[in-house]
Amino acid sequence: MSNNPSEPEKDLHVGGSSLSPNAAPANVFSLNTLLGIGLFGALLISIWVFGGFTPNMQTRLLSSPKGFEFRLYSTISLLFEGKMIALIAIAFGAGIVLFLRKHNEPGKPSRADLFIRRQFWMIILGLLNAVIFLWTQDVLFHLGIMGILLFAFFRASNRNLIIASVLTTMIFAGKHYWNYADDQVAYKKYLEVVALEKKIKQDSIANTARKDPTAAARPAMKRDTLTKDQKNDKQAWEGIVKSVKYDPKKDQGSIKEMRKHDYEKIYDHLLPLAQSREAQWTYRLGIWDLASMIFLGMALVGYGFFSARLKTLRYFLLAFAAIAAGLLLGWYRFYFQIESIRDYEKFVINHALPFNIFFSFEQGLMALGYTSGVMGLIKAGILKKVLRSLSSVGQLAMTNYIFQSIACTLFFTGFGMGYFGKLDQHQLYFVVVEIWIFQVVFSMYWMRHFREGPIEWIWRCLTYGKWFPLRRQIQSIDEPSPIAS
Amino acid sequence: MDETKLIPAIEPSLPYDGRIILNTDRIDGEKGPAPVSRVDRIQTVDIIRGVALLGILLMNIPGFGIDRSVYFAILEGPTNNRDYYAFAGMATFFEGTMRGLFSMLFGAGMILFTLNKKDSPLGLSVAEAYYRRLLWLVLFGMINAYVLLWPGDILFYYGLIGMLLYPLRKTAPKWLLLLGVLCFVVGIYKGMSNYQETREKRAKYLTAVAAEKKKQTLTEEQKSDKQTWVEMEKNFKPDPDEVKKNVSKMRSGYGIIFDYFIPRNSNNEAWGMYHGIWDMLGMMLIGMGLFTIGFFSNRLPTSTYVMTLLVGYGIGIPIGWIFFSQGWSGFVHFPQYVDTYRAPHWLLYDLKRVLLSVGHASAIMLVFKSRAIPWLMSGLANVGQMAFTNYLMQSIICTIFFYGYGFGNYNKLRFYELYFVVGAVWIFQLIFSAIWLRYFRFGPFEWIWRSLTYWKAQPMKVRSAEK
Repeated sequence: MSNNPSEPEKDLHVGGSSLSPNAAPANVFSLNTLLGIGLFGALLISIWVFGGFTPNMQTRLLSSPKGFEFRLYSTISLLFEGKMIALIAIAFGAGIVLFLRKHNEPGKPSRADLFIRRQFWMIILGLLNAVIFLWTQDVLFHLGIMGILLFAFFRASNRNLIIASVLTTMIFAGKHYWNYADDQVAYKKYLEVVALEKKIKQDSIANTARKDPTAAARPAMKRDTLTKDQKNDKQAWEGIVKSVKYDPKKDQGSIKEMRKHDYEKIYDHLLPLAQSREAQWTYRLGIWDLASMIFLGMALVGYGFFSARLKTLRYFLLAFAAIAAGLLLGWYRFYFQIESIRDYEKFVINHALPFNIFFSFEQGLMALGYTSGVMGLIKAGILKKVLRSLSSVGQLAMTNYIFQSIACTLFFTGFGMGYFGKLDQHQLYFVVVEIWIFQVVFSMYWMRHFREGPIEWIWRCLTYGKWFPLRRQIQSIDEPSPIAS
Repeated sequence: MDETKLIPAIEPSLPYDGRIILNTDRIDGEKGPAPVSRVDRIQTVDIIRGVALLGILLMNIPGFGIDRSVYFAILEGPTNNRDYYAFAGMATFFEGTMRGLFSMLFGAGMILFTLNKKDSPLGLSVAEAYYRRLLWLVLFGMINAYVLLWPGDILFYYGLIGMLLYPLRKTAPKWLLLLGVLCFVVGIYKGMSNYQETREKRAKYLTAVAAEKKKQTLTEEQKSDKQTWVEMEKNFKPDPDEVKKNVSKMRSGYGIIFDYFIPRNSNNEAWGMYHGIWDMLGMMLIGMGLFTIGFFSNRLPTSTYVMTLLVGYGIGIPIGWIFFSQGWSGFVHFPQYVDTYRAPHWLLYDLKRVLLSVGHASAIMLVFKSRAIPWLMSGLANVGQMAFTNYLMQSIICTIFFYGYGFGNYNKLRFYELYFVVGAVWIFQLIFSAIWLRYFRFGPFEWIWRSLTYWKAQPMKVRSAEK
């Protein structure tokens, strides 16, 4: 997931000196910090899927929106859901530009070539993460693909990139709208069928009352039952209404599957989920979701955003405004989602727009706000130690991300300890914090002794097709790092 | 790496670096890669592409013109009529092969496009030009599917799969061929596990039915097992109501067909871009390998082409026949088929395709070498040079001819009569391409595509010196 600079500390120490002419040292630190935050924050949401806090359970909380668990859930969702992957995508987009802006070295593959190879290995790592380590919501696969699709835009002007970002955000919102419009159409068809059904009933009552089944009944006889299509139309809407509601039985199947002791059985259960995420989700939503944030990240590089070129006050003002606007949209989403769950039929009648129509803007604004806030902190030199440790987490982003999958799979599935569906929502966050603590310590320790994370190292060797030294040596500082963006 | 070593195939006199060519337009090539100019084109590649492009309509025309149920009628009906012969001929000799050739040539074109050009420090790099070009291709593919209303579109997939080829453009031919075969193995594995699942469902159904016969009460699980298979069999057979509905939809106006196709297109593309890439990717890789050893550029000795022709047709046609007579004909009796065969004939599909595609390409190369029908060869080369335009034009012509908003001939022609339409389209495209290329350097859609790729209107008119 990372534009992972292998030697950011080196870059920091060297400062602005011209060891590697393209490296902008501040960039590397800021992007790593953002990645670290994104990586940690994303786990707060991922843990829902890992641990069995399913959408159905969320619906249960939303159907009686009060109490501690509901407040906890809504707070986490408002602050983190979607925003953390967006943050990662922003850093990823920025990394694309920084990687490609470097000059080609004579006798070596061009930057673009290296970039594409890197992306392919990333896709393969993503596939492993999804299919072998069983993280169905893996994002490496998608980022790998998005990098290949979008890298050719890296020369675009800031303005065009911003336009592209806004457009893709709007398309992403449009997708939510079209899904809702389908529901509206389904409801309309349902109403027609119901009206017809009523009429048939009345006719037959009238006919029996008249006791004249032959003459008057003829015209009605032709259509005295619903056609197959009409039945389907009716069922379609009833299915939608049912799917919106909380169903206590819904999760039993998946809990049973996830607690099986056999890896192969869990694999069989999760593979279709992972694949539909990689195929259908990518095609319908993922492309727009990620493209909007990647474009934003690419544009921000052009404004010198990550090299702390803006004034501190500007960063904080932007952060404040963007987060405030994002929270407002998030509040809108929650308010109307609760209404829609209460009575979806009424909701469809009364509302032209779905509750999540602004979700893409909500997550984009919030992620922008967070980015800006972090940059403000960096620029102002506040919380230095915290940022530094987060930055080393981000340096090992790929390793840490895959570690999260392995750890959670072992903890929650029956192949390991089988905690799936056993913990309450708030208990899940304790697991998250445990993982955070472990990862901070591990990352800081590792970076003291090695140049880059183990998986980053494998990734780099695969990309370049040769071995690189992994251990840290003092003289290594002079060596320009090939992956550093 | 030395490019001439990689492509021994090409006339040594042809300058490979676009910037050396004495072509004034090329001066702006200094700013970066530019389109392959007329001088660089390899005629045999264009000819084979032309054949593939025209041939692809042989397999596509039923998709444009008739309902799927017609296949069942033909295969279950008498075997001594023209429909049956036409079907048998198409399935045996051509099914999948034209698409196969087209994929191979796409792979070859990828090498031509990238190795022809050099990065320049100032402008677009080759990689950027290549990937931009493919992004536009993906978009054109979506337009072809959603707007021109051809759900059988391949451009979308070619654009995406082409993106996988780039890092392999300098790979040695033997590795490319091996990778290609590997892709088929993946495809076969997927097909096989799919079929096994079907067989398992069938087996469960049979146990449930047997239990029922013994007057046992079925468990919930057995009931659902039985239901699953019954549904599957029902979905497999064309349902008269569905057929009627489909035909009436296809004979209606643009808006209705547009809505009708949205879910179909989006399901196809979402599924296909992830699960359905293997056969195309395999063919492209094999095409890259074959191109690199000079197969498509007439650099191999005649005896080699004779050999590949004999092997390709000699093995490919019998397999094609088995594929048709056992596979296709058996498949319409789905339950019996599943009971009879442990593995489906579909597993032979890729093998047959590769062999026949190579056979077709060899045949074309031999005709070219014999200089027998030069007018047809140059006509086909024209068609191949405008392959993109001609491909989209086939969608435009056929949708207008068959769909309701045009002449509404959907499901009105007999199966064999569809091939009269194909013949007419071929003649039109041969003539149109020849005339167009007298005056213009590229086909109209090629021109749009190139201009979009380089984000600058490309020169279009042929200058007198080039004629």
